[in-house]
Amino acid sequence: MSAAADIERAQRQALPFGTGPILLGVCVAAACAAPFVLNGYGLYVLNLTGVFALVALGLNLLTGYAGQISLCHAAFFGVGAYATAILTQTAGVPYLLSLLVGGLLTACVGAVVAVPAMRLKSLYLAIATLGFGVVLQKIIFEWRSLTNGGGGLALSPPVIGGYELRATGLYYLTLAVVTLGVWGAWNVSRGRTGRALLIIKESEIAAGALGIPAARYKVIAFAISAFYAAVAGGLFAYLVRYIHPENFSVGLSIAFLSMVVIGGLGTIGGSIVGAAFYVIVPELLRGIKDAPGLVFGLLLVIVMVLMPKGLWGLARRIGRRA
Amino acid sequence: MARLSIEDVSVDFGGIHALQDVTFEFESGAIVGLIGPNGAGKSTLLNCVSGITRPTQGRVRLDDKVLSALPPASVAGCGIGRVFQHPELVVDLSVRENLLIACHRSLGYGLVSELLKLPNMWRAERDAARRVDQMLDRLGLSDSAELAIRNLPYGHRKLVDLGRALLMDVRFLLLDEPIAGLNDAEVAKLRELLLRLRDELGIGILVVEHNMPFVSRLCDRLVVLDLGRLIANGLPADVLRDPTVMASYLGEDA
Repeated sequence: MSAAADIERAQRQALPFGTGPILLGVCVAAACAAPFVLNGYGLYVLNLTGVFALVALGLNLLTGYAGQISLCHAAFFGVGAYATAILTQTAGVPYLLSLLVGGLLTACVGAVVAVPAMRLKSLYLAIATLGFGVVLQKIIFEWRSLTNGGGGLALSPPVIGGYELRATGLYYLTLAVVTLGVWGAWNVSRGRTGRALLIIKESEIAAGALGIPAARYKVIAFAISAFYAAVAGGLFAYLVRYIHPENFSVGLSIAFLSMVVIGGLGTIGGSIVGAAFYVIVPELLRGIKDAPGLVFGLLLVIVMVLMPKGLWGLARRIGRRA
Repeated sequence: MARLSIEDVSVDFGGIHALQDVTFEFESGAIVGLIGPNGAGKSTLLNCVSGITRPTQGRVRLDDKVLSALPPASVAGCGIGRVFQHPELVVDLSVRENLLIACHRSLGYGLVSELLKLPNMWRAERDAARRVDQMLDRLGLSDSAELAIRNLPYGHRKLVDLGRALLMDVRFLLLDEPIAGLNDAEVAKLRELLLRLRDELGIGILVVEHNMPFVSRLCDRLVVLDLGRLIANGLPADVLRDPTVMASYLGEDA
């Protein structure tokens, strides 16, 4: 094919100018208006979507960009949830500050988990991170003096600036944090770190030849990703107001990974769409007696077979044709 | 003027001597061809210089700095560019974005600036974009800047790969079979480009290539390896007439 034809095709593929910002504006406006439209249950589902979207954003940087599989994100989510809850409830640290500190603490845990990632690849890395996830969950369970072990932790609503956060307040907090998270992930994915992660996924040797130390960037990717998961965990803890070690099992890690793959690897939009699909579709299927699991499972298979680039890839294809 | 020295370098893989006591050096501003039959150790030598393979014995030096103890990313940071036989580009990204990857080290901003898009980030990115524009112009790829690599012909991909190495402000460039897969017009263009790069930027180029006419017209000097040993080092005309070289290497084709 001639270069001219290539260029013409590339130009055709570009979205009409301004479509992106307009769509984004509509989504943000709809999200802001949601508490006025939805009932308590609907708002809870939407809040949970936001929390999971935050995890997916971080995981997508690690898996979609850097090509590293993690099966311990539920544990990062859990460490963040417990750290935030304990800091706020037991130590009396202001909620927003505990979210940040919990996130930074878990980022350090994530950096430690990254150490085997410097040597392991693909399935081997997946199994190693699976092991880490189990260990972290076990630590939460056994450290009874701090976490109350199997008894779980019951939490009272958090207070920000003298105002007690109920469902609507928590929802707006999640919305604000997710917006910040999208902004940060967008910047990183288009900055030197995002580009470094992409070339590391392609070839670590090529990355080295370009002066990019693969090992250091894998640690950075794990740390950022764990930070996102932990902040989401801190929001989750106060959304459900009761956390238990069993909440953070490997099953949830697999769910996080599914969200990223279904939504679209290596895309910001995909993280959000994937989380929405994973949370909202089972809720919509609830009416079908006994069948929600079955239908949802089949939907997962269909999405993967028909949309190799995930739901976001499909949305982009439709957007280009329009 | 910088000098790259390969000093008594040996590499053993298990019981196999991939390189044995190879010694030669060259200065920036020179184009040196590294030739030899398959399995002679040419790529192993390039890997030693770029830090991918540790020499079992001997060392590689850039002026007074010993490179053979450094990891590949640090060697690259010293100004040693490496272009692989098959370009390893991110195929979903555009030509411009692939070139930006190579600006990594010169973009000095930290992670926090990046997450929050602080002014120092976008200022650095703007400067890098300008350097990429100049490189696109130099390579004659300005028209393809926004194309995804997957829509780019192979010859252009090799140019992008070369451009990436050059954007690191290299003093020495290691090229592994740069013309494999290129057509005659592309080969002629590449030769001109390499000569121009040497003259304008004063860089030293070490090139592994099988195509004798290309090598003899491009290189100031030839180094010949056979079975891991250096068997000749001199002007192209002299080396190609050397009976040892003809026996070991050119004899194969005769």
